[in-house]
Amino acid sequence: MFDFQGYGPRLLEGAWLTAELAVLSLIAALVIGLMVASAKSSRSMTLKSVATVYTTLIRGVPDLVMMMLLFYGGQIGMNMATDGLNAWLGTDMFINVNAFAAGVVTLGVIYGAYMSETFRGAFLAVDAGQMEAARAYGMSPWLAFRRVRFPLMMRHALPGINNNWLVLLKSTALVSIIGLSDMVYVADQATKATHQPFLFMLPVGLGYLAITAVSELVVTGLKRRFDVGFSQAT
Amino acid sequence: MEQWLTQVAPFLSDNLIFTPNTLAQYWDGLVNTVQLVFISLVVGLFLAVPLAVGRASRRVWLNVPIWLFNYVFRGTPLLIQLYIAYYGFAFIDGVQDSAFAFFINDPVYPALLAFTLNTAAYTTEIFVGAIRATPQGELEAARAYGMSAATAYRRVVLPSAFRRALPAYGNEVIFMLHASAIASAVTITDLTGAAYYVYARFYSPFPAFIFVALVYMLLSFVLQGGFKVLETRMLRHLKPA
Amino acid sequence: MADSEIPLVVRDLHKSFKDVSVLNGLSLEAHEGDVITLIGASGSGKSTFLRCMNLLEVPDAGDIIVHGEPVAFKQHNKTREPASWKQVERIRSRLAMVFQGFNLWAHMSLIGNVIEAPIHVLGVPRRQARERGMALLERVGLADRADYFPAQLSGGQQQRGAIARALAVDPEVLLFDEPTSALDPELVGDVLAVMRELADEGRTMVVVTHEMDFARDVSSQVIYLHEGRIEEAGAPADVLKKPNSPRLQQFLAPRF
Ligand SMILES: Nc1ncnc2c1ncn2[C@@H]1O[C@H](COP(=O)(O)OP(=O)(O)OP(=O)(O)O)[C@@H](O)[C@H]1O
Ligand SMILES: [Mg+2]
Repeated sequence: MFDFQGYGPRLLEGAWLTAELAVLSLIAALVIGLMVASAKSSRSMTLKSVATVYTTLIRGVPDLVMMMLLFYGGQIGMNMATDGLNAWLGTDMFINVNAFAAGVVTLGVIYGAYMSETFRGAFLAVDAGQMEAARAYGMSPWLAFRRVRFPLMMRHALPGINNNWLVLLKSTALVSIIGLSDMVYVADQATKATHQPFLFMLPVGLGYLAITAVSELVVTGLKRRFDVGFSQAT
Repeated sequence: MEQWLTQVAPFLSDNLIFTPNTLAQYWDGLVNTVQLVFISLVVGLFLAVPLAVGRASRRVWLNVPIWLFNYVFRGTPLLIQLYIAYYGFAFIDGVQDSAFAFFINDPVYPALLAFTLNTAAYTTEIFVGAIRATPQGELEAARAYGMSAATAYRRVVLPSAFRRALPAYGNEVIFMLHASAIASAVTITDLTGAAYYVYARFYSPFPAFIFVALVYMLLSFVLQGGFKVLETRMLRHLKPA
Repeated sequence: MADSEIPLVVRDLHKSFKDVSVLNGLSLEAHEGDVITLIGASGSGKSTFLRCMNLLEVPDAGDIIVHGEPVAFKQHNKTREPASWKQVERIRSRLAMVFQGFNLWAHMSLIGNVIEAPIHVLGVPRRQARERGMALLERVGLADRADYFPAQLSGGQQQRGAIARALAVDPEVLLFDEPTSALDPELVGDVLAVMRELADEGRTMVVVTHEMDFARDVSSQVIYLHEGRIEEAGAPADVLKKPNSPRLQQFLAPRF
């Protein structure tokens, strides 16, 4: 009964794609988020305003629209760029925008904006005295960041990151609309072919709940790690 | 400047795209989006109030099912919920001839169902959080003056919880506006659907999607501003003089 | 005197939290016009005693009788519970409490706070409640602050407002739990002045306080609690001037 009318293997592949997409996008979002948060707390007005415009834009536009813009626009933009290069260099190249990569980039760019807000709040929450102490003991800025500010900050950032991650995970479903075969896409195809929506949609829904449950365990573990020295009786 | 203009000109003079025809398409999309979002939010809000009260209650038979409902609707993508509502009834035998046919013949109804339940779940959690944050002393004062549990709820707990919930609810409204873009996946021509149509017709993604992005952004800002005004009014009691 | 003529009688109250026994047989009679002050070290059970009187805590044993009407209890899963919450609500509205932390309802204006219980508990018409509420705010010196929200008032103003709110239900007994402890020293005087006036006009009051001047000047009876027992009780002139118990002597000794 678990062969899902022959769709079992494809569903599993879809689930794997969802997981990969989610994790890679999370990493992209964390990196972008950290950079943008640093830009926002930097002294350069230009960096600051670019970062602010970026987060404002992203937060005003639906994920799906952003995704369609970057995905459909990405190929055409790439074509324009290669056409230009070809005309200039006299070459004949064509770069195919990979749908999976486009998905990762899009989700990374969108959730990078949300992550940057989380990180910025966490930066502010770290007591300035702690960083001063680190510098006073002769730590280089990078070392001080890595050994002092980052672990302290993560304690404050973790709940926000967890929140963004859960939203991101569900947003990966949108890639099925632009044709990536994640588990929602497979379920949609299978439903259309077999007319058995519940057979496919319910297990996929459970799949998301399962990923959420696993990530909750991870977050609890991380929380314990970053809470060292702060844990209270509560 | 000259050079810049020549580069931008193709986009501007692409008035092939923003014809009265396509603008009308966008307008219809806007109307559909606003209708979908507005109706789901209003109905979802009305559902969320009793759900939140039940979820905050200590009665397990009341509180656990609501918790489960919220967990499922908040833990799975809205897209799945939309597909279940959209396909779930369509393939039932005989539904075409039943009084229920209207529901499957127009994708707006399943979309409304999914959106409403989804926002009800999120809103319920927002309210529950606000209810639990009721200052204990205020509740105690209400009981100390002889208010019954129900009166204390109606007069003290809920009014102050609604005010506290306002900022988070404002976020939920904007979230719903953005989430509604997936209505285009079940053939509803909402704003995103209109943009996709324009893109597909002219194979030109930038004008089609950037324009619709601006419309969403404008709507978001208007909503945000509206909630800011509401918050300063409703939360003025928390500001020291 | 028959119980029915006495506003508040409490007999042999016991209460423990988990296994810790906090009240060990406390009794008290508040006659018409009495001002009873409860004093004692922190943790001696003063607040718990007061909160039992209007059933914010349910005593494990003992009677509470308001103008001859005893609160009925029943046994439920080995814990004692009021037999009728309706009765409790009715009794609570006759014993108004003023809290250490004011506990004004933050989303209502001051006048809104004052008229809330009269309208929604006692069913007084809004117009009438408002007129009376304004008169009460006048009394506590806050008529010009009627439309302010609690967060916009100083602590002393909030506490005077809370007293007006308590008076608005026309209580037979006023219960005060350290009404001035959360206040800056310069704001204490205004609140105590209002309480003195209430005592002078013959209100029945039970007051938990650390203000010994108030206890000495205003009260008809002082009760000193120690570990949930009445260690000493009597007229302020006796209890505060000539304490018998060494503990009370130490409690009253000037601190340096
Ligand atoms: N809800 C409760 N749960 C458990 N223990 C409690 C509770 N309320 C009070 N207690 C305990 O009962 C004892 C008496 O507390 P109570 O608040 O009545 O003292 P108090 O005399 O009012 O002290 P203070 O002057 O500090 O206000 C304390 O040891 C306290 O820890
Ligand atoms: Mg106390």
